[in-house]
Amino acid sequence: MELTENVLEIRDLVKDFPSVRAVNDVSFDIKRNTIHCLVGENGAGKSTLIKILTGAYQRTSGTILLNGKEFAPSSTKEAKERGISTLFQELNVVDQLTVEENLTLGMEDTKFGFLRRTDKINKIVSVMNSLEPSIRPQQLVSTLSVAKKQIVEIAKAVASESDIIIMDEPTAAISENEIQRLFAIIKNLREKHVTVIYISHRLDEIFEIGDYVTVMRDGRHIDTKPLSEVKDRSELIKLMIGKTVFEQYTPRERDSADVILQVNHLSNHKLQDISFSVSRGEIVGFYGLVGAGKTELARAIYGADPYTGDIIFKGNKLSSTPDQVIQAGITLVPEERRTQGLFTILTLRGNIPVMNMKKISRHGFINGAREREVTLEYIDKLRIATSSTEKSAAQLSGGNQQKVVLSKCLFADADLLMMDEPTRGIDVGAKSEIYSIIRQLAAEGKAILIFSSELPEVINICDTIYLLYDGRMQDTIHNGGDIDSEMIMHAVSGVTAVSGVTAVKEVL
Amino acid sequence: MNIETTKPTKSTKRAGWGSRMSNETYITIFMAGVLLVIFLIACLAVPGFYNPKNIINILTNNWYIVIIGIGVTFLLITGNFDMSVGGVIAMTGVLSVYFCQASNVSRNVLANGLGLPYGVAIGLALLCAMGIGGINAFFVAGLKVPSIIVTLGTMMLARGIGQVVTQGAQRNTSLPDVFGVIGNASIPGTTLKFSVVIMVTLLIIAFIFERWTVAGRRTYLIGANSEAARLSGVKVTRHIATLFIISALLAGITGILMTSEYKAGLSSRAMGFEFDALVVALLGGVSIAGGFGSVLNMFVGAILLSTMTTMATALLLSPDWQFTLKAVVTFIAILAQRWALDRRSRG
Repeated sequence: MELTENVLEIRDLVKDFPSVRAVNDVSFDIKRNTIHCLVGENGAGKSTLIKILTGAYQRTSGTILLNGKEFAPSSTKEAKERGISTLFQELNVVDQLTVEENLTLGMEDTKFGFLRRTDKINKIVSVMNSLEPSIRPQQLVSTLSVAKKQIVEIAKAVASESDIIIMDEPTAAISENEIQRLFAIIKNLREKHVTVIYISHRLDEIFEIGDYVTVMRDGRHIDTKPLSEVKDRSELIKLMIGKTVFEQYTPRERDSADVILQVNHLSNHKLQDISFSVSRGEIVGFYGLVGAGKTELARAIYGADPYTGDIIFKGNKLSSTPDQVIQAGITLVPEERRTQGLFTILTLRGNIPVMNMKKISRHGFINGAREREVTLEYIDKLRIATSSTEKSAAQLSGGNQQKVVLSKCLFADADLLMMDEPTRGIDVGAKSEIYSIIRQLAAEGKAILIFSSELPEVINICDTIYLLYDGRMQDTIHNGGDIDSEMIMHAVSGVTAVSGVTAVKEVL
Repeated sequence: MNIETTKPTKSTKRAGWGSRMSNETYITIFMAGVLLVIFLIACLAVPGFYNPKNIINILTNNWYIVIIGIGVTFLLITGNFDMSVGGVIAMTGVLSVYFCQASNVSRNVLANGLGLPYGVAIGLALLCAMGIGGINAFFVAGLKVPSIIVTLGTMMLARGIGQVVTQGAQRNTSLPDVFGVIGNASIPGTTLKFSVVIMVTLLIIAFIFERWTVAGRRTYLIGANSEAARLSGVKVTRHIATLFIISALLAGITGILMTSEYKAGLSSRAMGFEFDALVVALLGGVSIAGGFGSVLNMFVGAILLSTMTTMATALLLSPDWQFTLKAVVTFIAILAQRWALDRRSRG
């Protein structure tokens, strides 16, 4: 077969979702036997593009040529058969089986119903061996580290003669030593005629192993070039951020001496020595990329996960179960609204009052009229689009569901409201409504903690912004001056050189 | 907070009665309709079926399944099974006899008990029942072991205790007369048994609990999404633990009543009742996935099953067909509910 120079050619690719164009007219090529990196902020369209390549999504328009032939997979299986394998963050290995059994899963040969050892199996095992001799074929996969499990998956993809292996943040869960070992194997893949599409938020890695880089922003293709032509990280960051226009943040009057929450040396499986304090009326943002520890921090404060260190709230040490934390006056809008925040099969009336049943009951008996009144009050206040209080929460749109979760927390009448990714997956209108509610709450003297992976969001509404990377506090920004988004991207991508430098460039 | 504190306005338009009705109410009414149709068919097919005595019989002869069905239903709503209720009935019954039998009166071991006063004997037996519930609670709520496994274990444990105490036979001698009173008592002037009165009382309490109490509401929250419930401040572990203990207590009460009725402690009593309780709950429309259902559903299911078996017996179907009949009724009811709910959510 004549091999084309480009293993993959993407032309005018568009993917529309009901309210947003996630991939907008993207065209670029991927050269054969290279390591091609894909970078961009959260929401730049990388994941959508990958999902189209793996058959999870169907494009709206445009063409993709794989080895010079039209490629429109309708399933992950079809994509794999055509030569595109994917190493997802959720690994696809069976822990209870041995390495060899995992490698040959789905391609076993049998004779009279008995498994047969064929050349095919021997070949796969030898591929595994050449990649990583220290993994024994008879070893149980459950005894392997995450990195080695990834290597098993890579071996499987190589053995099935994939042209392209897509790797989505493969280093997110593995240690520094293992990263080096994984990189050696990835570089080695070129000799096995495999092209790698590599996605990572860690820019250092991109420079270390990439041949080419494609930058995406807001669903568009910004640039594709050899990494040898990229001067440094800053150039890449500039391409990723572009000329982002942040909505204007307006400084507000508040008494910063009136401390309500003090976190001292908080650590757990993900977090390392986090300390900060929050005063009444303050909106504090925690910004970091995927895996920076934002959700873990919110859950630790809320008592949903264990931690060491202490948290002082309104002068008292905070207890560590959610029911007691709520009693003390803290509520959380969780990251995953459908699985952690909402009771989808229950009605709005069954959802909105649940965090403060005392207010709608007497001696443990619910006052039905009061319950309906409260539900209607919040439907009105937050402008939740619904025809009745008896509609099930599952039937609402994402933005309205988020407003229901927010209503739950507001009705609990807390002094501190934490919101994890408050506007993820909701439309622009609902977004700005939620921002104005947050500002209003702060004006009433409530303290607000926002955990977000969207920079414009935290810059738009937060008074103070803490930058997180890998469970550590990298830097603090006091909002109000000019924002140096390059410095922010450096800090949250794990570059430590900025510590001690004041984050805000005072520009008059 | 004060975001333009407006009184609820007319802008939130009220939809028609049909769409404001909850799915629970809808399914209860739907299943009541099914029951009515089957009842009418029975009246036409079986001579003398429509007869007050027969109807009262149908409504009340499953009282023991309905009482244990209350606990089983609430646990199902939280997404848990309780398969130990049948075993707990047997164990509590046997123990109440053993505690109450006179001591040292005979050379036959099975005729000798602890000689405790009747009230103390049943109190202790009920405590033992709650102990089984406590074991369920410890493993399911505390250690997060799947309830189906744990309660299958305690089902055998409870029945096993009964078997040891009766030595595989039964205990029915040296009992004071008072022992047989509550199981055989009836409302003066009627044939309505005291046990049925207890069933009705417990049903009413359970209905009030699920509709109008905070604890009842929390039961649904746990079943709808236990993680969201925990993050909303519900003490999930404690709640499920309490329900297991209550379920065992209800089974214990049933055991006391049944044993009193026969004045005999028998380790094989109530064999398979856990399945009957599960079947009537599912028949009535309680969801096996949790978060959905009502004790009313369970009660309708119990009457439905009772109507079907009565009709089948009257039509000279041999009792050997009992299980097959239950199976057919269960499948039809579940298909009908699926169909009704799908139609509703589409419409």
